[in-house]
Amino acid sequence: MEKQMFTDRFASVFGTESFFKKQKRIALKNCGLIDPENINDYIYADGYKALGTVLTKMTPKDVVETVKASGLRGRGGAGFPTGRKWELTAQQESDEKFVVCNADEGDPGAFMDRSVVEGDPHTVIEGMAIGGYAIGSSKGVVYIRAEYPLAIKRLIKAIDDARKENFLGKNILGSNFSFDIEIRYGAGAFVCGEETALIRSIEGLRGMPKSRPPFPAAKGLFGKPTLVNNVETWANISSIIVNGVDWFSSIGIDKSKGTKVFALAGKIVNTGLAEVPMGMTLREIIYDVGGGIPNGKKFKAVQTGGPSGGCLTDKMLDTKIDYESLMQAGSIMGSGGMIVIDEDSCMVNIAKFFLQFTQDESCGKCIPCREGTKRMLEILTRITDGEGKPGDIEKLEELGNVIKKASLCGLGQSAPNPVLSTIKNFREEYEEHVYQKKCRAVVCEKLITYTINDKCIGCSACRRACPVVAIKGAPKEAHSIQQELCIKCGKCFRSCKFHAIDKTSEAKEQK
Amino acid sequence: MSSPLAVLEAKKQQAKKNLEEIGYFSDVKIYVGMATCEIAAGSNHVMEVFQNAVKEDKSLKGVYLSQKGCAGRCNLEPTVEIYQKGKDPVKYVKVTAENAKIIIEKHIKKGEVIKEWVGK
Amino acid sequence: MSTVKIFINNKEYNVDSTYTIMKACDEIGIKIPRLCYHPKLSISSGCRICIVEVEGMRNFVASCSYPVSEGMKVHTNTDAIRQARKDILELILDNHPKDCNTCVRDEVCELQQLASSIGLRERKFEGVLRTPFVDASSPSIVNNHDKCILCGRCVRVCAQIQNVSAIDYANRGFNTVVVPAYNNPIAESVCTLCGQCVNICPTAALTEQNYTKDVFSLLNDKTKVKVAQIAPSVRVAIGEAFGIKPGNNMAREIVHALKLLGFDYVFDAQFSADLTIMEEASELLERLNGHGKLPMITSCSSGWMKALEQFYPELIENVSTCKSPMSMLSSVVKSYFADKIGKKPTEIANVAIMCCVAKKYEAKRPELAMEDGNPATDYVLTTRELAWMIKSAGIDFKNLKGMDFDAPLGFSTGAATIFGVSGGVMEAAVRTAYELATKSKMENIDVIAVRGNEGIKEGAININGTEIRVAVANGLGNASKLFEELKKDPNKYHFIEVMACPGGCIGGGGQPYAGIQDLPFDPKLVNERAKALYSSDEKNTIRRSHENPSIIQLYKEFFGKPLSEKSHKYLHTHYKQKFPKGILRKSGKEAK
Repeated sequence: MEKQMFTDRFASVFGTESFFKKQKRIALKNCGLIDPENINDYIYADGYKALGTVLTKMTPKDVVETVKASGLRGRGGAGFPTGRKWELTAQQESDEKFVVCNADEGDPGAFMDRSVVEGDPHTVIEGMAIGGYAIGSSKGVVYIRAEYPLAIKRLIKAIDDARKENFLGKNILGSNFSFDIEIRYGAGAFVCGEETALIRSIEGLRGMPKSRPPFPAAKGLFGKPTLVNNVETWANISSIIVNGVDWFSSIGIDKSKGTKVFALAGKIVNTGLAEVPMGMTLREIIYDVGGGIPNGKKFKAVQTGGPSGGCLTDKMLDTKIDYESLMQAGSIMGSGGMIVIDEDSCMVNIAKFFLQFTQDESCGKCIPCREGTKRMLEILTRITDGEGKPGDIEKLEELGNVIKKASLCGLGQSAPNPVLSTIKNFREEYEEHVYQKKCRAVVCEKLITYTINDKCIGCSACRRACPVVAIKGAPKEAHSIQQELCIKCGKCFRSCKFHAIDKTSEAKEQK
Repeated sequence: MSSPLAVLEAKKQQAKKNLEEIGYFSDVKIYVGMATCEIAAGSNHVMEVFQNAVKEDKSLKGVYLSQKGCAGRCNLEPTVEIYQKGKDPVKYVKVTAENAKIIIEKHIKKGEVIKEWVGK
Repeated sequence: MSTVKIFINNKEYNVDSTYTIMKACDEIGIKIPRLCYHPKLSISSGCRICIVEVEGMRNFVASCSYPVSEGMKVHTNTDAIRQARKDILELILDNHPKDCNTCVRDEVCELQQLASSIGLRERKFEGVLRTPFVDASSPSIVNNHDKCILCGRCVRVCAQIQNVSAIDYANRGFNTVVVPAYNNPIAESVCTLCGQCVNICPTAALTEQNYTKDVFSLLNDKTKVKVAQIAPSVRVAIGEAFGIKPGNNMAREIVHALKLLGFDYVFDAQFSADLTIMEEASELLERLNGHGKLPMITSCSSGWMKALEQFYPELIENVSTCKSPMSMLSSVVKSYFADKIGKKPTEIANVAIMCCVAKKYEAKRPELAMEDGNPATDYVLTTRELAWMIKSAGIDFKNLKGMDFDAPLGFSTGAATIFGVSGGVMEAAVRTAYELATKSKMENIDVIAVRGNEGIKEGAININGTEIRVAVANGLGNASKLFEELKKDPNKYHFIEVMACPGGCIGGGGQPYAGIQDLPFDPKLVNERAKALYSSDEKNTIRRSHENPSIIQLYKEFFGKPLSEKSHKYLHTHYKQKFPKGILRKSGKEAK
């Protein structure tokens, strides 16, 4: 009964809403239920019970074994078995070790880590303290992006309160274990979410990844063994300790245990954060949790894993959400971004959007990522501008594969994913752009033709809006657009109040 | 020497006492979503309305008002939950400062749930 | 040593278990192509040229950093790897100007050689180039961003070997550049202008400020008396630029070539090295007798002088007031020698051929100017620039008969020769100081303790019953370590020699490019150059500066004695604290 209380309090409050019915809250168990700035609220909700249990009844080795047995895997993206990471760090002989919380959430549209830190900061602190106990470290660092001022404020207060209550500091709860946490701010570089770049950034250096091995578990922060886990991973720890391995591993499937928080975005009714058990299908999360596609539009694709992930089609909607299945389908779990795309979106344009992001955020250290993504972006821009040339798609594939296989860090290795997966699943759209100069979603500006239909009443609004005087027509008579003058800015389309301007993109004959 | 769990248990009792002092176990509780996303949607104005009401309106004496983190319903923010003893919690969505005043008057004071504002 | 069994291209090898794949391959004779890797620097793994395939790995691995392990199966030359290397190289070239024919590094460019060995024959991905920008603010070093391929070797050599960190990456992605802090021009930065970045740059992104055009024009100027001087280490390195094995002393060929180029007089900076020793050894004895601060630190290295003024202002009083041999000789030429040939200083032009790029900056220091305000040294050329001028003028350098330096400023002793090697100034000064102080012959003048490759060397000499403790540091990184020691025990040494470049002047920033096969400041290369200098010292019949007859004559005719009023005027200078961007002034008042 007590176990139930601990994790299912959320369900008792929110369970009636369809959005929450299929959710299972572990990392977000307290988010939306407690006052994040009141430590009493957390303690009263059985907070720090895991830490107390660990310090009273478990050896560090027991803790590592528990996390290992739970099957928890890193929630930051790569899905490395968390217990194995803990074990590797625990095995190192060193005078000093560090525990690091990666709160440098950088994927566009992802905010699960912010939500946890803002809604339940103590659960992260508790997880880190348990991690410190398990690996023999007395020093934790939270690396959090400076763009999260409220999260930082609440975390600072939580750390202060935890110190006052002796959940941090010397001889925690009267035990021999001492542990404290410092905060370091990230300055907004996406690549600093990569653990070696993050470590360099904490050290005060430019955030650039290093080659591994050596892994941070052996040589991390200031050359000392370092355990780096993501916010969501840390937020899972206390529940595993309190509720036990069997409970945790009963949630999820095969190699992916527990839950994953997803940030639902794009063309979906219920945008928001959803924590679902691993193994749920994409269909369930999009239609049951997310409420489907708004405005009666047709589902086209879902992009998982943020800018490093791939686009999956309607044929793959029954793919299970777990690390392996998503990988097999051609995408990744990533940190949990999930963007739903409907028929109004152009896949080439979407790929370009993501590549633009990774290209901007490449640290500039390794050549494939720095130079290669730039060339890919140039080719994609060319294609969406209607200047694609035969062979461009193949060039994208060749470059994409080299960047994937030869880049230094995860950013580069995954940067081509959105492009490669859209080419794989939506090749015909690319071909239409290149060979027919057509964008079927009518998104790519340069491929659009504006024409005036018979609804035109001759109000002249479009004629006045046109910056290049491409629209002719006497007042109160039907107007027309001179295509050779039109610069496709779309001002006429937006100015027309009578739906008299059509926006189309048709196959054009090859010159 | 007492075990960490025993120390924790004492802390939990103390926490309960502390919560009691601030009215946590009151019959009526109001939770306003105050994460960055909720604030961006305007929850700080909603919070202000409730804060003023609890401070100034004598009929709301003893009502417990608290902030909370985000439950994840981005498209429905700001969100407000009203807990009344013996009843299911009511979750209002897309609350505005104006709506908040009406919720106080109708729901909290008179017990009338405004169904069209409740999230589904 | 434990070994592991690995398979390289399907053949079995036992290699040291601590090796990387690259090192293992090097040992069995397969040189994997590489670009950002340098054995003396930390591993960056940024260029991805050295990738190989390892069976069982999803991605290619960088062989420079990936450790070997038991049973590992490595393939270095599969079709996939060869294609990936080509693609990566093409990505570099796509963002690199196509102006090899007009580039200063044409034929001596690592990138060019790499492209040739990788066999890139077609271009597929061309697009925009990085924004062109050239920072030519400094008299020594030019940063040409267009040609930078961001291998980061300059950044690492500056931070890890020199402990200066004047440059680092800025901006992200395609906009990444290597610049001084806050994007300041080099001239306003903490760069010490040692030029190690120039030496290690694989392309023409970092080069010396080139004065060859000005010098060619000067050589055609009939109104000027053209005087050249060459530094000790130029003569043992210039041959490399002509395909001659390192370690040949080509002083006579250089003199001959300079005469053919049109110089009226060719003097030797080794002559003024002897002069420096006379002054510096006397200054040391003065300080040892209680007149001035100890330890005394040498002042020959211009890069070190710039570092001193910005990083170690507290040591300014410890530094010898002696000008560098280059500046001493230029002063003597424009005073003593000008009188001798009946010319005004303005009618003489001094061109110094140096192994150094910081000397270009030194020549422009206002406090080293002549009384008329003109600089003592008009132009400084690096070894590389001279080699190019010789080639450009069509001089058959390898087959020149050779000529002697001109009198009276061309005669030097063995002590002066070894100025080019780390520890050489120390050794030369000790030889003279000992004999000046004890008035007796030093029996074994080879001060072995201060010779060799180590970054910091220590020794002790007994002069008149007092033990004089000396230390030698080469490379600014080692110097900073030595100064840390000195902070702990200020009385640890009496005399310290500091050279900004690893190995001393022979490893200077102006020396011929080493190319891919011999990497810059490769100990082997530096050793060959050093050996040539030591053997010239040994072969010299006069090995003590104070025994140089031309020096004796110069004092007799002009300076009187060391540290005289006249020598202070022409041979000594002063240093003061400087505040390039990035060095904070202590109080707000000073800042204004």
